Amino acid sequence: MQQNLLTILILLPFVGALALAAHGLLAPYANEKHYRWIALGFSLVTFAASLLLLTQPVGLGTGGEFHFVRDVPWVSAIGARYHVGVDGVSLWLVILTTLLLPISILSSWNSVEKRPLAFFAFMLLLESAMIGVFVSLDLLLFYLFFEASLVPMFFLIGAWGGERRLYAAVKFFIYTAVGSLLMLAGIIWIWYLYAESGAGATGTFDYVQLLTALQQGKLSLTINGTATNVQGILFWLFALAFCVKIPLFPVHTWLPDAHTEAPTAGSVILAGVLLKMGTYGLMRFNFALFPEATREFAPIFIVLAVIGIIYGALVAMVQPDVKRLVAYSSVSHMGFVVLGMFSFTEWGMQGALYQMLNHGVSTGALFLLVGMIYERRHTRMIAEFGGLSKPMPLFATLFVFTSLSSVGLPLLNGFVGEFLIMFGFWNSDPAVTNVSRSWLVTMLAATGVIWAAVYMLWMLQRVLFGRVTNPANRRLADLNWREIGLLTPLLVLMLYMGAYPRPFLARSRNSVEALRARVVAGSSQGVFHAEARETK
Amino acid sequence: MTNHLLSVVVFAPLVGALVCWLVGRRVRGESFISAVACGSVAVSAICAFIVAFTGEGGGALRNPAAAPVYSHLWTWIQVGSFRADYGFAMDRLSGVYACFITFVGFLIHLFATGYMHGDKGFYRFFAYLNLFMFMMLTLVLGDNLLLMFVGWEGVGLCSYLLIGYYTDRREAGDAAKKAFVANRIGDWGVVLGIMLVFWLTAGAGAPSISYFDKPLEVLGTSGGPAVVSALKTIGGMSIEPFGWRLIFAGGITSAAVLLFIGATGKSAQIPLYVWLPDAMAGPTPVSALIHAATMVTAGVYMVVRCSAIFSHAPTALFIVAIIGAATAIFAATIGLAQNDIKKVLAYSTVSQLGYMFLACGVGAYVAAIFHVMTHAFFKALLFLGSGSVIHGMHHEQDMRRMGGLRKYMPVTFATMATGWLAISGFPLLSGFFSKDEILWKTWSSETIGTAGIGKILWVVGIVTAGLTAVYMTRLMVMTFWGSERFREAHAGGQGDEAHAHAHDEGHKPHDARTPSEGDRPRHAPGEKVDSHAHDVGTHGGAHHADAHGAHHATDFGDDEEEHEEHHHGPVEPHESPWVMTVPLIVLAVLSVVGGWVGIPYALSGGAVSNYFEHTLEPAVAHAPEAGAAGAHGAGAATHGNDAGHGAPPDHGATVPASEHAHDPDEIFQERVFTGISVVVGLLGIGLGWVLFSKRPLLKLPRLLENKYYVDEAYDAALINPIKTGSREGLWRFFDVGVIDGLVNGLGRGTAALAGVLRYMQAGFVRSYAAIILLGALAVLGYFAWNAWQLGGLVK
Repeated sequence: MQQNLLTILILLPFVGALALAAHGLLAPYANEKHYRWIALGFSLVTFAASLLLLTQPVGLGTGGEFHFVRDVPWVSAIGARYHVGVDGVSLWLVILTTLLLPISILSSWNSVEKRPLAFFAFMLLLESAMIGVFVSLDLLLFYLFFEASLVPMFFLIGAWGGERRLYAAVKFFIYTAVGSLLMLAGIIWIWYLYAESGAGATGTFDYVQLLTALQQGKLSLTINGTATNVQGILFWLFALAFCVKIPLFPVHTWLPDAHTEAPTAGSVILAGVLLKMGTYGLMRFNFALFPEATREFAPIFIVLAVIGIIYGALVAMVQPDVKRLVAYSSVSHMGFVVLGMFSFTEWGMQGALYQMLNHGVSTGALFLLVGMIYERRHTRMIAEFGGLSKPMPLFATLFVFTSLSSVGLPLLNGFVGEFLIMFGFWNSDPAVTNVSRSWLVTMLAATGVIWAAVYMLWMLQRVLFGRVTNPANRRLADLNWREIGLLTPLLVLMLYMGAYPRPFLARSRNSVEALRARVVAGSSQGVFHAEARETK
Repeated sequence: MTNHLLSVVVFAPLVGALVCWLVGRRVRGESFISAVACGSVAVSAICAFIVAFTGEGGGALRNPAAAPVYSHLWTWIQVGSFRADYGFAMDRLSGVYACFITFVGFLIHLFATGYMHGDKGFYRFFAYLNLFMFMMLTLVLGDNLLLMFVGWEGVGLCSYLLIGYYTDRREAGDAAKKAFVANRIGDWGVVLGIMLVFWLTAGAGAPSISYFDKPLEVLGTSGGPAVVSALKTIGGMSIEPFGWRLIFAGGITSAAVLLFIGATGKSAQIPLYVWLPDAMAGPTPVSALIHAATMVTAGVYMVVRCSAIFSHAPTALFIVAIIGAATAIFAATIGLAQNDIKKVLAYSTVSQLGYMFLACGVGAYVAAIFHVMTHAFFKALLFLGSGSVIHGMHHEQDMRRMGGLRKYMPVTFATMATGWLAISGFPLLSGFFSKDEILWKTWSSETIGTAGIGKILWVVGIVTAGLTAVYMTRLMVMTFWGSERFREAHAGGQGDEAHAHAHDEGHKPHDARTPSEGDRPRHAPGEKVDSHAHDVGTHGGAHHADAHGAHHATDFGDDEEEHEEHHHGPVEPHESPWVMTVPLIVLAVLSVVGGWVGIPYALSGGAVSNYFEHTLEPAVAHAPEAGAAGAHGAGAATHGNDAGHGAPPDHGATVPASEHAHDPDEIFQERVFTGISVVVGLLGIGLGWVLFSKRPLLKLPRLLENKYYVDEAYDAALINPIKTGSREGLWRFFDVGVIDGLVNGLGRGTAALAGVLRYMQAGFVRSYAAIILLGALAVLGYFAWNAWQLGGLVK
């Protein structure tokens, strides 16, 4: 059971998709409502199964070891392995994924009129791929899942999206596919380097094997100690794919379009999980495999992150479209995550990981709420609303609550993450980050919190408060039980994660520390080139 | 010592808020909600007094060691060496605060049950108000900087919710947002200040953000290692010299300045004060509780709480004093020319807060807290009194339409008159003692930086005292004396609402020229709104005229005609019910006697002990004195050490500095200066009476009436450029134009080269979706086949 749990988690939604297809084939004229029940059932079972991960001390061991490991040869001709495992870094991301899936399926309960079978099948396929991304410990396997997540999302946007769905879907696909193709090149290159180094009989894609070889000095990813070294190039081959996914300024422009045009469930998954694949990938692969390059190029990420924080917020402020506003706010929030990661401190990296979860919960909830008014009014333009607190008081309350979580009000989840990130960066070590005025960077980043209040509150004011100016808004129905029910877990989490973050942070601590130690190691001797000379 | 009753003080209002919200919205019985809301605050108040005055060693306020009472709950955030507890502590400073907050809070809750009677959102109002009490008590009783920050932002949130309580009024929404954003700008400073405090203490080897030493027996078994007080650590460092560069040096001065930025936001000081006058759009009890008595004094609390930090940063103290004095006189001059009764009081609050910061800046922390307390009494009284007037006048707030009300509302008049005399510095009333103390401490200030200009600051202070007396007299004269102008020109209760609507459409929200923009009538909430919208244009115009024209009566006549459909004829003002007058009477009594706990030695000749100073002295640090300025190198390291922390065990016996030397010359001098304040106060009242008793509608300079056009300047210099720049520059030009242009251009270029791609661009999404799917399936199939062969997955 233990070694198969992750495989089961990956396969359960996949089987669900197959079941949907079988149902469609065998009983083509059956009630279409069956599909959503099947999808919900499978996603709920997957969620329940994912909670079993908490039965083992994942992340609580001293070195943040992997648990639930399954490691078998797969394509032995090229040394590809089916290697999955979970540690403190991926644990909560997996559970976040399995939690958001049933919620987003419930959110599409009545809104999917065309081809519900395909819609729910794609949702489940997407879930399989996302779980696979977070638990893969083999680069090729990771790449496959990483790419596989693109396809269902492409269809979700392209087929069930808004008016400009084709443009958005193609843009999303091209942006991310170009990025990940580069990563594939990098993966293959590593395979050759490993094969050439003689550390193993053949090349390998295995993350743990590569890491061990690097740590033992059997594999060296530096040549000549110059800036145009292998490690630097490899770093960017991987990092570009992840930067697009995060998305880091300035490769973020696919996000507003994709978010805006995607159906509600798509936006929730996109913001809640897909974006984290970028930051997760950076932390897991770039940090661990290319630590010197990570330090070397940290200033670029730090500067782009801070620009993203402020830029995303300023642009969010002036959006006329609620969904687009939330999308740009994601750029700002993910900037915080990147900033925290590149502080290379325990506070910053833990905060970054926590902020990934927070962003998934809060922004996911925001998209759900926006979807709810979209279903009622079929518009997302702020100017079309106004005074919604009159006909929909409960909706207004929950919207305000979620927004406050998003702007980082203390005692709600966002604050803990943002505070730790800023705190971590303030206390970062210039010898590691290559950025000397960390306090100045922190001060700039902290203005993002002010802007967040500006854009969120201004939007709330225009959507919820004032008089009802548009007669179409006068008779809107307030939230129904289904909508309340699907929001409740997220609202509870916002409060719980804000008031008592310790269980989450305790689980991720040792794994994050292990990654941090990997990046920081050897940095005191000046940066990057010292180790190159040593290993030669 | 631990006393978990302290947690009850904090959490009782939270329970009240939840019950009001969850149960109250179903029950909708006003008596039930009133009972829950007032009851929870009463429980909180009783518990606060019990913790403060009873228990081991005499309670938090009386135990001779000045040791705090703890209630440690759980460790909130712990990452690495950073630790923030969720725990409360009451020492003498937070004890004084907790007592007056809960007590005044209870009275205002009681008042509000009468004031809000009939409002549709009754349950919501009291839920917010109770939530505010919870947050305010968290702010004050939290035992570390980060938990204080929870309350700090929490009260900002409640303030936001309550200012915007009348959700259908746009100006309320604008004011709420403005308040929250201004506070957030300040919060930026607080967060960074907290980080710097941690950084400094970590540098000293004792990383902490806690106010107090928390020994193991307080933390219990699960609480981990003992916590060291950050204030004590910083108190043990050397005092920084005076110099502007130190602001940016990343030392104690920087920390103090960052924290003070937060204080300017929360406590409405220059340059962030602009939100407080607009905040009067909230219901009047909110103005009394949040925007006069409690929340806005949080900045003073923080500065005094961190006196160990400020006392080590003479540059920061200098800034605090200058900002305080400047705000005091600046706001007082604006208050002179406002016509909305609540606006006058709002600017008065800003001005009085300036006094408190002036006191902090010259190192007179105890005097600052003393003024916070007396101000809470008399300003809450004045606001509630104005609420009673507004209630009795059927929601008229423009003083130009009042007059002669003392006949109709005798209790309100008598109590408000007490508040008026107290704030004007009438001898032996509470405001007299506290303001006098601040002025004397300013004059005699020896603090580095302010030592040279203490005399100038004193002049500013005494002029402000005179101005205060003048504008308060104007307020009283316009409201309670003179002709009964509401008869000739009262547009009825609806008029006010109509004003608000014209306002929505025609003007910017913070337009000084609109006379009445406060509470709207709650007896007809919301529903009639749209029917008034049609005549907006003309009405807005008339409004301009009415505020500017010299012939008010005529203009108001026009006004009346235009709104004939709302006109209900002149309404007789009436006295308010007992739930409103009783709090007024209690607060009036406190405004009289509240100052007697802090009578200075010079005035009583030692006959009455300065109880207040004795109590608070152990809780604050002393400002660095000018005489010692030269010696402030590393050698002076211990200077702040003996007083820089919450609970030094040996401090019970310490005699306040003011009683060390009763130099007869000094006592004489202090008495002379007290005399000067009395004369200035009385002159101010006299001047106000002479100026306004015959001509209550006396025209005042337009510059003052329009608040020096600060809001307009902010709009023009900051807000509009940022908005336009973001929209046109960042979004339309850069995001859509440059980046997307590049991406799309690349796409198009590639498409032009490749025929296949061109087909796909023009073709159906289905066709190339199919290609992708086929490709993906092929790859997947290949791997799956491999897997099957090896049996790796099925094993």
